[in-house]
Amino acid sequence: MSTQFTINPKLDFAIERFIDAPTRLVWEALTKPEHLKEWYMPKAWGRVTRAEMDVRPGGILRVDIAVGDGQEVPNLGCILEVIPMERLVWTSMLFPDYRPAVFDDIPITAIMTMETVGTGTRYIFTALHRDEADLEKNKASGFYQGTEIAVDQLVAHVIAMK
Amino acid sequence: MVSDMVQSAVADAVFHALSNPTRRKVLEQLSVGPATVSELAEPFDMQLPSFVQHLSVLEQSRLVRSKKRGRVRTYEIAPERFKVVEDWLAARRQLWEARLDRFDQYVKQLKEKESES
Repeated sequence: MSTQFTINPKLDFAIERFIDAPTRLVWEALTKPEHLKEWYMPKAWGRVTRAEMDVRPGGILRVDIAVGDGQEVPNLGCILEVIPMERLVWTSMLFPDYRPAVFDDIPITAIMTMETVGTGTRYIFTALHRDEADLEKNKASGFYQGTEIAVDQLVAHVIAMK
Repeated sequence: MVSDMVQSAVADAVFHALSNPTRRKVLEQLSVGPATVSELAEPFDMQLPSFVQHLSVLEQSRLVRSKKRGRVRTYEIAPERFKVVEDWLAARRQLWEARLDRFDQYVKQLKEKESES
């Protein structure tokens, strides 16, 4: 059912964690806006002000964040693939409902996979980039570091959900 | 039914786009005339990628449209979408005005009844 994809270390980054909690909870934390709000933004950097997710191919992913000085920054994307408790894919290359997007920013496609291992879950977050320059920019801007912190916050949040 | 849902989705996107002070300021500036991304970003103390995300939300709501010439993207107001807000507000106002008119008539009737008795 699920197609494999290969990551290219020159273009992409992947963050992998083992979460000592059932896959069902990891899926819930990834797909419910009330949970997203708790872990999506590094707590030392700011907070999520609004989260919206229509978990279907073509559905909206919207996470508005507020940074230190209170300025709000929106994030808007389109969900591409939904395999419950297995894989969730979204991209910022598209507006919701597959509408071709207009942007001058660095787009990514994000792939979240999870797999049950014993009583826990192996979780991998992958960000695909257009080219090496985009990956470099995302590493330099703090996007990579922020994502790593967010993944750790996700792990802690899921454990607290048990 | 489908068209109701589409209309509601359009209204959601438009009202959400208007719900943020940065985006409202951009619309105010664009009402004066078209502007480039860097001109629009200039008054804001914000990282450019963050600011561009706001433009992206405006573009998605189709309150604005953009053109790219070479490396420069220029934004302008797309007036048609503002009608979504106007129409919604006008419909609410009509309803309330009709209701007030009926209330007015009813009070008049009561007054007449009172003076008859």
